[in-house]
Amino acid sequence: MKKMKKRSLFFTVIMYSIIFLLLFPLVILFVWSFTKNWPWPNIVPKAFGLRAIKYVFSPTSKSLKTLLFSVWLSSVVTIITLFISIPAAKALGLYKFKGKRLFKLLILAPIIVPPVAVSMGIHVTFIRLGLANTFLGVVLMHIIPCIPYGVRILTNVFEIIGESMEMQARVLGANPYKTFFYITLPMISPGLVSAGSLIFIVSFSQYFTTFLIGGGKIVTFFMLMFPYIQSGDRMMASVYSLIFILTSLVLFVVIEKTVKAYYKAENYFYI
Amino acid sequence: MKRLAVILLTLVLALNLAACGNQQTKQQASVLEKDWETILKEAKGTKVNFYGWGGSQMTNSWIDNYLAKRLKEEYDITLNRVGMDIDSILNIMLNEKQMEVKEGTIDVVWINGENFFTAKENDLLFGPFTDKLPNFNKYIDKDSVEVKYDFGFQVEGYEAPYGKAQFVMIHDKARVDKVPVNHEELLQFVKNNPGEFTYPAPPDFTGSAFVRNIIYDIVGYEQFLDMEPKKEVVEEAIKPAIDYFKQLKPYLWKEGKTYPATIAQLDNMFADKEVVMTMSYNPNHVVSKKQTGEFPETASSFVFDKGTIGNTHFLAIPHNAPNKAGALAVINFILSVEAQASKYDPNNWGDLPVLDNDKLNEEEKEVFSKIKIGEGAIRQDVLLEHRLPEMPANLIPIIEEIWMENIPAKGE
Amino acid sequence: MKRNLKPYVLLLPVMLVILGIFVSGLVMALIQSLGYFPVVGLKDITLKYYKEVLTDKSFLSSLSFSLYISFTSSIIAIIVGILLAYSILRSNKKERMEQIVYKLPIIVPHAVAALLMYNVLSQSGILPRILYNMGIISSQSEFPSLIFDNRGIGIILAYVWKEIPFIAMVVYTILSNINDKLSEVALNLGANKRQVFFHILLPLIMPSVFSAFIIIFAFSFGAFEVPYLLGPTAPKALPVKAYIEYNNPDLTHRPYSMVINMSLTFISIILVWLYHKSFKLISKYDG
Repeated sequence: MKKMKKRSLFFTVIMYSIIFLLLFPLVILFVWSFTKNWPWPNIVPKAFGLRAIKYVFSPTSKSLKTLLFSVWLSSVVTIITLFISIPAAKALGLYKFKGKRLFKLLILAPIIVPPVAVSMGIHVTFIRLGLANTFLGVVLMHIIPCIPYGVRILTNVFEIIGESMEMQARVLGANPYKTFFYITLPMISPGLVSAGSLIFIVSFSQYFTTFLIGGGKIVTFFMLMFPYIQSGDRMMASVYSLIFILTSLVLFVVIEKTVKAYYKAENYFYI
Repeated sequence: MKRLAVILLTLVLALNLAACGNQQTKQQASVLEKDWETILKEAKGTKVNFYGWGGSQMTNSWIDNYLAKRLKEEYDITLNRVGMDIDSILNIMLNEKQMEVKEGTIDVVWINGENFFTAKENDLLFGPFTDKLPNFNKYIDKDSVEVKYDFGFQVEGYEAPYGKAQFVMIHDKARVDKVPVNHEELLQFVKNNPGEFTYPAPPDFTGSAFVRNIIYDIVGYEQFLDMEPKKEVVEEAIKPAIDYFKQLKPYLWKEGKTYPATIAQLDNMFADKEVVMTMSYNPNHVVSKKQTGEFPETASSFVFDKGTIGNTHFLAIPHNAPNKAGALAVINFILSVEAQASKYDPNNWGDLPVLDNDKLNEEEKEVFSKIKIGEGAIRQDVLLEHRLPEMPANLIPIIEEIWMENIPAKGE
Repeated sequence: MKRNLKPYVLLLPVMLVILGIFVSGLVMALIQSLGYFPVVGLKDITLKYYKEVLTDKSFLSSLSFSLYISFTSSIIAIIVGILLAYSILRSNKKERMEQIVYKLPIIVPHAVAALLMYNVLSQSGILPRILYNMGIISSQSEFPSLIFDNRGIGIILAYVWKEIPFIAMVVYTILSNINDKLSEVALNLGANKRQVFFHILLPLIMPSVFSAFIIIFAFSFGAFEVPYLLGPTAPKALPVKAYIEYNNPDLTHRPYSMVINMSLTFISIILVWLYHKSFKLISKYDG
């Protein structure tokens, strides 16, 4: 028994060391957000400052406005993706049909096939169609990497709940519309919440597609942040990153709490 | 399964073919035929998309806080700054050009050097427009090399100067008694203080500028302005300078066996007092580094007697800019005394003005001389007296290659 | 009949997007890679560009650089991820705090992960500072350059940092489901913990780990941000190379970029196929 305890201590140490290594860079990010000057070889910054925070919060930098716009854009993406994912997930979760494997593969593919190739390939077509540099164009591009998450999570949900409840409602005389809103929707809603939060985060973190298809007309928060990471202005880059992470984190935690209330959610993260 | 795949593929093709219809756009009457009053009237109340590098908070703040605000007050123009690297901006312009998009996305683009050349060669730019700008005609010396040429490329009115940068050397007064003012004195200095000097390895931007500066100091700059971009030709021309770098090498930091990879690293070494000099392509660099406390209070800039390299950055208008009148109004405002002075103030940006001093009246001159440039920086008139034009852009990679082959590799 | 069509109708909206944009994009890339790009006057279908690119030295070094980065980072992430999951399971600490905390990297986008590595590993980063103050290195330049280096250490570590929690989550989910039933039986039969881990748990998680490996491998292979921000001048990772070619002002160069894109796609299609195979393996174990 004593040995068991020692063992578990050993693993606790390993666990905390790995978690420490994962969190440590984030702590540094936090410190850099307020660091005015940090000469080598000091371990602690010499002077702290609010230059970056002030800049981000000043209305002329439009950072917060852009953040709100990004949240709005990703929300639109989330809603559309969920909307088209529900029927697809129902088909994959409940029915047997010819070509199901092909469909499943096609839906999964956007996770594995590099978005770089897809965006560059479609760019010319988008310009022709007048979709490049538009809100709609960027939304459409964001939906692609979100579909696999949405469909997969909801497929599992449909597999679990099956078709029997819906059938009963239909047998009892409810029309398809009523059945959907009173039976199906409430049953899949926990799945919708967890799929939705994931889709939101995926869309929120898109850089390359937004930047290529948006052409600078559609500016997301990520696009304000990127040049600072590139130019090595660590204070600015860190503040932007911090706000970015906090925004997703708030959403993530809220959603996690909501879902936990319903059922023990599985992990559906691909990456 | 196979049949299904074929059907899907056909669908895809059909979708794309449908997309290949031609776009129709109306022909815009050339804005250049209108007089300035009409242009300003047209610009009023419009939005101007300003694209350029967005990696410097100082620069961004100047545009957002000063420029955008003043444009709104003065012309009711809404300035929309989009931070993007120039390669991507060019790509947008090229794509639009190829797709014959008549109404593009960009109104003003911050550009210079090779990128300007690429844009001009590919007919991506609108112009020549600079003669249309009242402030350009009033304040700019049209015959100066720096307005006519951009890294050796002919400007021909397709871009208007925006600001200037100039290479300066930085030393610590507390540790250097007498600054070397030419390459010979620098060699002597380094011999007397072995291990206390180095420069970033090209292709670091600043390191590369230092190498070019030494080349100018030894063999002069004139011959490079129209030199053929061939390796043999360049090699022949800069041979004395390469020999000089070989002579210098054993007295450098770490005996020249290794060089700092970036200017940031050299700055850190200077801050840590590992070396006594650093350098910068921004003449106000020393001031901002002193403000942050990284550089000692005794840090100060200097230039060589024969001068140091300077470049000019410009503003251009894409050929399909949706709001050309607005773009012209914005660029014209940037060329005003007020805007250039605000930009020159190190508290705002610290970028050198492009206006010709001889064309300013006494009052206007005073606006500039009143600006406090900060301890350790060099006054702009001194800088301008010691200013040499940049080399044609296509020679720069060749020089970097020759340096790479001859200097770090040999003698290890 | 109506019943037969129903799943297809339900799939239609998603498929419109997938086919209309995703597959279209790839088909357009394919067509352009074959030299058909009429807007700039390229109208002949040819394999010329493939021949040129696939025999080009810098392409090959980029390809092996990308493969090396993805492989190394994925392997390290898998090993540490399994270790983390197993440790959480064995540590007897099931507090929710850790559960949330270690997932944090998942919501951090790749570009920020690159910034984190820069803050920690560059020559003025926190790691060389710590080493200096401990007396392990005596100057900044003694610390090896891990960012922008041609061994891609910075890139690899950024991916590792980001992928460990993902792997840990996948593994933890399976382990916590099977642990109690199976390993107790084995323990009762006299196996020690190590034997249980290597002979029972590891084989059970392997298929899922394999499919997770495919996903992180494919992702790091095709992603742009991290190598763009932390990569060396040469060799460049394939997606970065594709983008640089794409930005070439001479648009008749476009096919070269598309050939690189098709190579990326081709390799990822192989990965999709492997993933598919690995799923069959999983269902075998599940059954």
